Amino acid sequence: MLIKFIKLFLLISTLVFYSMASKADEKIKIAIIEPMSGPLASVGLDLIEGLEFFAERINNAGGVLGGKHIEIVPYDNAMVAEKTIQQLRKVIDEDIRYVTQGVGSNHALNIIKTLGKHNKRNPGKEIMFLNHSAVTTSFTNELCNFYHFRFDANVDMKVAALVSQMTLDPSIKKVYLLNQNYAYGQSFQAAARRLLAERAPQIEIVGDELIVPFGKILDFNPYVSKITSSGADTILTGNWGPDAARLIKATTNSQLKVKFYTIYAGIPAAMNSMGAKVSTFNPIVQVTESHENDSTHPDWLKEIDAEYMEFANKSPYADRQRFMMEMFAAAVEQAGTADPTQVAWELEGMTGRGAHGDVFMRAEDHQMHFDMVLSHISTNVEKTFIYNNEDYGMAYETDGWVDVSDITLPTTCKMKRPKR
Amino acid sequence: MDVILFTLFNGLLYGMLLFMLSSGLTLIFGMMGVLNFAHASFFMLGAYFAYQISKYIGFIPALFIAPLIIAFCGAMVEKYALRRVHKFGHVAELLFTFGLFYIIEELVQMIWGKVPVGYHVPEYLDFTLFSMSGMGYQAYAMFTLVISVAMFVVLFSVLTKTRAGLIIQAALTHPEIVSSLGHNVPRVFMLVFGLGCALAGLAGVLAGNTLGTEPSMALSLGPIVFVVIVVGGLGSLKGALVASILIGVVQTTAISLDYSINNFIEFIGLSVDVESLWRIIIDLTISQVAPILPYLLLVLMLIFRPRGLYGNRDV
Amino acid sequence: MANLFKSFSTWIIIGVIAAILPLIFDSSFALTLLSKMGVLIIFTVAYNMLLGQGGMLSFGHAIYFGLAGYASIHIMNGIGAETLPYFPTVLFPLIGAVVGLFFGCLVGYVSTRRAGTAFAMISLGFGEMVTAMTLIFVLFFNGEDGIQTDRMVGPEPFGITFGPQIEIYYLILFWCVITVALMYIITKTPFGRMSNAVRDNPERAAFIGYSVRRVRWQAFALSSMFAGAAGSLHALNYEHIGFESVSVIQSGAVLFMAFIGGAGHFLGPIVGAIGLTYLDSTLADYTEAWLLYLGLTFSGIVMFAPGGLAGLIVMHGPIARTDKKLLTSLVKPYLLAIGSVVTGLIGLIGIIEMLYFRSLISKGEGEVIIFWTEFNANGITSWLIFIGLILGGVFLSKKTFPMAKESWDHAISVVKTEISHE
Repeated sequence: MLIKFIKLFLLISTLVFYSMASKADEKIKIAIIEPMSGPLASVGLDLIEGLEFFAERINNAGGVLGGKHIEIVPYDNAMVAEKTIQQLRKVIDEDIRYVTQGVGSNHALNIIKTLGKHNKRNPGKEIMFLNHSAVTTSFTNELCNFYHFRFDANVDMKVAALVSQMTLDPSIKKVYLLNQNYAYGQSFQAAARRLLAERAPQIEIVGDELIVPFGKILDFNPYVSKITSSGADTILTGNWGPDAARLIKATTNSQLKVKFYTIYAGIPAAMNSMGAKVSTFNPIVQVTESHENDSTHPDWLKEIDAEYMEFANKSPYADRQRFMMEMFAAAVEQAGTADPTQVAWELEGMTGRGAHGDVFMRAEDHQMHFDMVLSHISTNVEKTFIYNNEDYGMAYETDGWVDVSDITLPTTCKMKRPKR
Repeated sequence: MDVILFTLFNGLLYGMLLFMLSSGLTLIFGMMGVLNFAHASFFMLGAYFAYQISKYIGFIPALFIAPLIIAFCGAMVEKYALRRVHKFGHVAELLFTFGLFYIIEELVQMIWGKVPVGYHVPEYLDFTLFSMSGMGYQAYAMFTLVISVAMFVVLFSVLTKTRAGLIIQAALTHPEIVSSLGHNVPRVFMLVFGLGCALAGLAGVLAGNTLGTEPSMALSLGPIVFVVIVVGGLGSLKGALVASILIGVVQTTAISLDYSINNFIEFIGLSVDVESLWRIIIDLTISQVAPILPYLLLVLMLIFRPRGLYGNRDV
Repeated sequence: MANLFKSFSTWIIIGVIAAILPLIFDSSFALTLLSKMGVLIIFTVAYNMLLGQGGMLSFGHAIYFGLAGYASIHIMNGIGAETLPYFPTVLFPLIGAVVGLFFGCLVGYVSTRRAGTAFAMISLGFGEMVTAMTLIFVLFFNGEDGIQTDRMVGPEPFGITFGPQIEIYYLILFWCVITVALMYIITKTPFGRMSNAVRDNPERAAFIGYSVRRVRWQAFALSSMFAGAAGSLHALNYEHIGFESVSVIQSGAVLFMAFIGGAGHFLGPIVGAIGLTYLDSTLADYTEAWLLYLGLTFSGIVMFAPGGLAGLIVMHGPIARTDKKLLTSLVKPYLLAIGSVVTGLIGLIGIIEMLYFRSLISKGEGEVIIFWTEFNANGITSWLIFIGLILGGVFLSKKTFPMAKESWDHAISVVKTEISHE
């Protein structure tokens, strides 16, 4: 019985593994590891769609290195750190040399650490991490790595932008910090404490809280009552996903008048689950690299936005994926090879075109720098947000721009570079 | 004083939501002995159906139609699947509903997508009814509270005071006798299961718009429902009510308390080394540990009073 | 004794075959997959000590798997930072086993008073509590981020650093064979038999003088111990542990493996672990609906074949023993029945894939690739094809199933008469 079973197993496994023998092809593959299922699937799927769009634009324009196409290979991590590592293992096994990820700094952290070990143990087979949205500051400080490039502003920069804007509003006197208890939220908390003390000493912190992240808290009323009794006039929060939507909903339902200064409350899924009435009851300020309704939005970007609308049936949320893909393609072109080490050398210090002046990849820590725009959610806008043909009836309205020099911060990065 | 009052009131609001969710489960378990793992999935379906119906004909019709559809779905599940599994015992039934949990979650994603849908509180209930020490209370929240209280009263009186309720209770303990008296026991079970699911569906209709309607809501609400029915005592409706409110109040109160063991130690004039490993525990504030309190309550209950608050048999 | 030797030799054969596997399938994907399978085989067989052998359905068995993983990672990091004395990497599963045993004794004492649904619920409660704790005691569990480690620590005996995956694979294989063999031997001991007796008839077991609770408790603790060993290997394999390892999702996954494979037979969980791990790593890339198919398969197994896949095979044991010809006579009606079911399934899968496709992507013309063929999700033809397949499958099943059942009944009646003649 056992022997037969073993024979059967061997036969099946031979067939199965034979069918998986890898085929070589001429494409430059970029693996993207994002949640495609679970509570935050919508965020991940939108990002994948965005990357596919920009890859397709490059391919339609003739590809790179004389006609090679860029292919985006999606991997689902279900917003689970372990799954990220298992998928990353798969990426390594399939000999894909570029990884990109952005949803959840916890995953980015694991990718950085795992790739760190991989790159050390497998010289000549290095894998580059193109970080498009994971913003925890330490990735470009003490954890900085030659094969990691961040194309989004880090938390410190974003909080600096928010705080600079807050100082312009004299009615802000008491601020309540509420953040998610994981790498990113802790990073936000630390940055907010430090930058408020440095740049806005007149503002008092009346509450400082870390919550269990990712939709595990269903009822935000107790937090709202805490905020009410603290007398705060502003909530400075890094929350995103359901944690942001539920918090804002709960404050609106209890008619608490506060200002929200956030990074991610304007993510389309959050806007939709709150609805226009909740989203505009209190001013919800967010910080991004550009948005469609800004008066300085350049024409060439408007054209790309229109193309994207045709491709995905969605309004654009952010611009970073565009310049990431454009700069990546340019770096491959300049390096003349798709080898990550050569491409990394080209990416260091590179400039690209942004919505408001140039964007610049700082060489010492691989952190992208650009002007940032503060905007709030409003129903009184020229172009409302469209998502899969559904009109949300709201979008963002500019409050002001923060110059890149105001958010350029020193780095503690001591990067080890390979020989050129 | 004000603080205590509105903490208690918030706790009550949250507790009644938990009660609505768990009453159907405790009913099904009490009557049929089936532990329905997919109970929260029916709650989710309720929210999605309500979203779809209220998009076309409004919220009030949805309040009635959605639970009816869910009742039908539940009855069909009982008739064509659970009844077949019944002969393998209660564990097999539980296993089946565990599979069903996955199926419903995936079906919902297939039909409505993975993005949260825009299911919102109807305009005419979206105003502040009254406020208490600076915190406003939405009319919709009160509407939900009233319905949940009504739900308890109706269920309780139907089960204990009416003939139908007595037949249902008897069908559990003495199915043969009830059957020989001319009642169709499988049909009674089917109706009970349908009713239990409908209650979950109703909770979904009422809570989907405040919690957010998305495919993962069943997973995030599922476990707490089990805590409620175990703490309350398996099959006891009264127990479920008390346990829900208890958990609601405990959790709400805990969040408002920013004290840690370290505060207490410092209060009595001692101090603990900053480097000490104990800091892991003593620096935690009560508000931070709030999410584990329901499960801690569950474990303590199982150790010291396995029958729960109002149960008549051990777990 | 001869029997024992025979079973030992089988284990050695299996071990040798598994040791050769990476030489045949030398892609790194295969190696990753095989390592994962090895870990999950230990975990699933350990889980089945509870579910299959002891009749306890647990929704929280990942606690022991995960906590052992956390302990191993912390110890490994301690060794790396030289705050802890050196401990050979080869023996790390022992650490996991001790941790698993400790928590198994602790939790088992509280939860084994009753079996059945009550036990299931308690296990769920514990599972949720520990999961919540991992997100709160951030300094130890590191919350959503999980903890990383570097397994290349300490001296390198015989040049083995445990850096390359192949070395970890042989480590996993070594422990896999040892633990699975141990668990197999346990099923043959008086204790194993007693565990079965408590599962089948607790009253009678109590009547002949055994403490039912004590037997359950021991089974629970042993099962947790092996789960802990698996958790340790899991942590070494990925050099990372996160809260998902202790969560109900992981417990559910192991339940799926054990039950679909077949909880009633010792080989069942192994079949389940190998099969589902393989499908999970490959099929999940091709279809969005992988979890839907998994849920449907699981529910289908619960309804129609509670013995799982192994149960279906074992069911035919008596027929094969009585007369080989009898078994071959079943092949044709079976193939017909399976063929008609597959026809219906292809239709169903087609519909599911197209529905998923429509819910996901709003771009393009609606081309969707199902079974290596391009269909148009917006065109009426493709829907008609798949609906036709479903109807055809149902129609054919109505014809072929009675035939298959008739042949089965016939075969079994022959077996019964043979036995009564003996």
